[in-house]
Amino acid sequence: MKGHILPGLVMLAIFLLPIIVPSPYIIGVMCFIAIYGALALGKAVLMENSGIFSVAHPAWFGIGAYVTAIATIRGVPPLVSIGVAALCVACLAYIMGAPLLRLKEYYLANATFCLLIIMEIGIGNMGSLTGGHEGLMGIPPLTIGPIKFEGDRDFYFLSWGLCIGSLWFFHNLMTTRAGRALRTFMYSEVASKSMGINVSQYKLRIFVITSVMASLTGSILAFWLRFIEPAMFGIPLMIELLTMVIVGGGGILYGPILGAFTIMWLREVIQAYLARLLPVMTAEVDAVFFGIIVILTLIFMPGGIAGWVEQLMHAGRRVGERLTRP
Amino acid sequence: MSASPDHNILLKVDNLGKRFGGIHALADVAFELEKGSINSLIGPNGAGKTTFINVVTGIHAADSGEIVFQAENISGLPAHVIASKGIGRTFQLEELFAGLSVMENTLVGCHTQSSSGMLACGLSLPWARKEEKRLREIAMESLTFVGLEKRANDPISKLPLGERKLVGVARALSMNPTLLMLDEPVGGLAAHEAKKLVDLIYMLVGKGLTIFIVEHNMPFVMSLSEKVIVLDEGTKIAEGPPEQVRANQEVIRAYLGDEV
Repeated sequence: MKGHILPGLVMLAIFLLPIIVPSPYIIGVMCFIAIYGALALGKAVLMENSGIFSVAHPAWFGIGAYVTAIATIRGVPPLVSIGVAALCVACLAYIMGAPLLRLKEYYLANATFCLLIIMEIGIGNMGSLTGGHEGLMGIPPLTIGPIKFEGDRDFYFLSWGLCIGSLWFFHNLMTTRAGRALRTFMYSEVASKSMGINVSQYKLRIFVITSVMASLTGSILAFWLRFIEPAMFGIPLMIELLTMVIVGGGGILYGPILGAFTIMWLREVIQAYLARLLPVMTAEVDAVFFGIIVILTLIFMPGGIAGWVEQLMHAGRRVGERLTRP
Repeated sequence: MSASPDHNILLKVDNLGKRFGGIHALADVAFELEKGSINSLIGPNGAGKTTFINVVTGIHAADSGEIVFQAENISGLPAHVIASKGIGRTFQLEELFAGLSVMENTLVGCHTQSSSGMLACGLSLPWARKEEKRLREIAMESLTFVGLEKRANDPISKLPLGERKLVGVARALSMNPTLLMLDEPVGGLAAHEAKKLVDLIYMLVGKGLTIFIVEHNMPFVMSLSEKVIVLDEGTKIAEGPPEQVRANQEVIRAYLGDEV
């Protein structure tokens, strides 16, 4: 039970935050952290746990958001359209994944990169169906029966629910049979096969599962903002997610969420304070800062923040053991 | 031999061939392994010994020939299917999963003996949890068998070579194999470590396993094996009990060169 105290406290803090600090600004940023955190977690599960270097994550996120939005605008009940979106993404990920996952490393990264570009261009050119590059407006609110989700606080609980739910799912997975099988691919696929693991089937399955989770995240985003545009799901988001995974630490499951927290608040701080010092403060200046942070992390903290936290806790436990020993 | 000799045959390879480009890694290799026996495959560097294991376990597909395991033709099946039929193996360079602990490596070996899928594992469904508990017992049993139970939670990187080789054996044993193929099990081991491995092999044969060893270490092979098969440049040049193979002129030539 001892190991459950800290995660329990963190979860309690997340739950109490909107009640204690009812600032819409803070709640809004925290919503984005939960959404991007869940996405970065899925990406890390592929990249750092299963050895699948896919960068197509924003595409599944985007398709999930668009299918949900289009279906709901056309009168489909929100919960059904979320399901339809998840199903569409699952089928697409399966069809695309089956041939693409035969590729490895940079080749796979390249191919999934193209998938991302095609998706963005495709959505941008689908005219009135997707609203083109101007975006899709007028998404109805999320209603489930008599319950209507409105305002940042409702979506705060929804997005954090999904984020923590994903973390719980992947934690269970990675510590048992199926996830352990995934974790072997980075070290020796020959040995994995010789142990009876169907490597290509496992890769395809985790690819589809993480894609569906990205789709669910996209659905939440669409209902929360009630407006979506292709630029939300493009290459900048892909780079941002990668930054979160690296800074937070992809080797430990809560790392990417920690990364999302750090990067999002850092951006707020940079924009709030640096704007006073620098004459021009644009997105490019942001990018320069995050570039420097990624390089510094890779040099001085290759395990990311989570890796550092784990080291700290390990050292703490050892000191504790020494003190309690008679 | 009993009335129907096939009942005693665990593995039978016939006319087995494998080419890499223009090189014949294996050419027309044929022999049989009896149930519960200790067999060794020897030969100079590049003779095709490891290729043989890779072909039998399905890592490489054979170009020609037939592999019959427990009266079933397994040639052409994918590696993970062959593993599930009861062929366990270790690797010359261990091929352990470096990011996983000793226990986790051994647990991966239990894969063919379990069935919970990703959703059951991720959602922590009751039967997945129950199965995980059972797998941990199997893995612990394998680790205890090779004497590494105290190392269960250590990372692989903390272990010396001798213990890493044993983790490979424990991992293969967790598969509950009928045939265990050991690729250079004593390469780089100290004498007392090799001695321990010999003891383990005898215990496994006592449990009914069939052992197939690929090895360079002659004294080890000759003292342990009931049958020795010699490969040279992909072809079988001798087969038989150790003393007979040792006296074979062609084997001497292959090992020492034409000049002798």
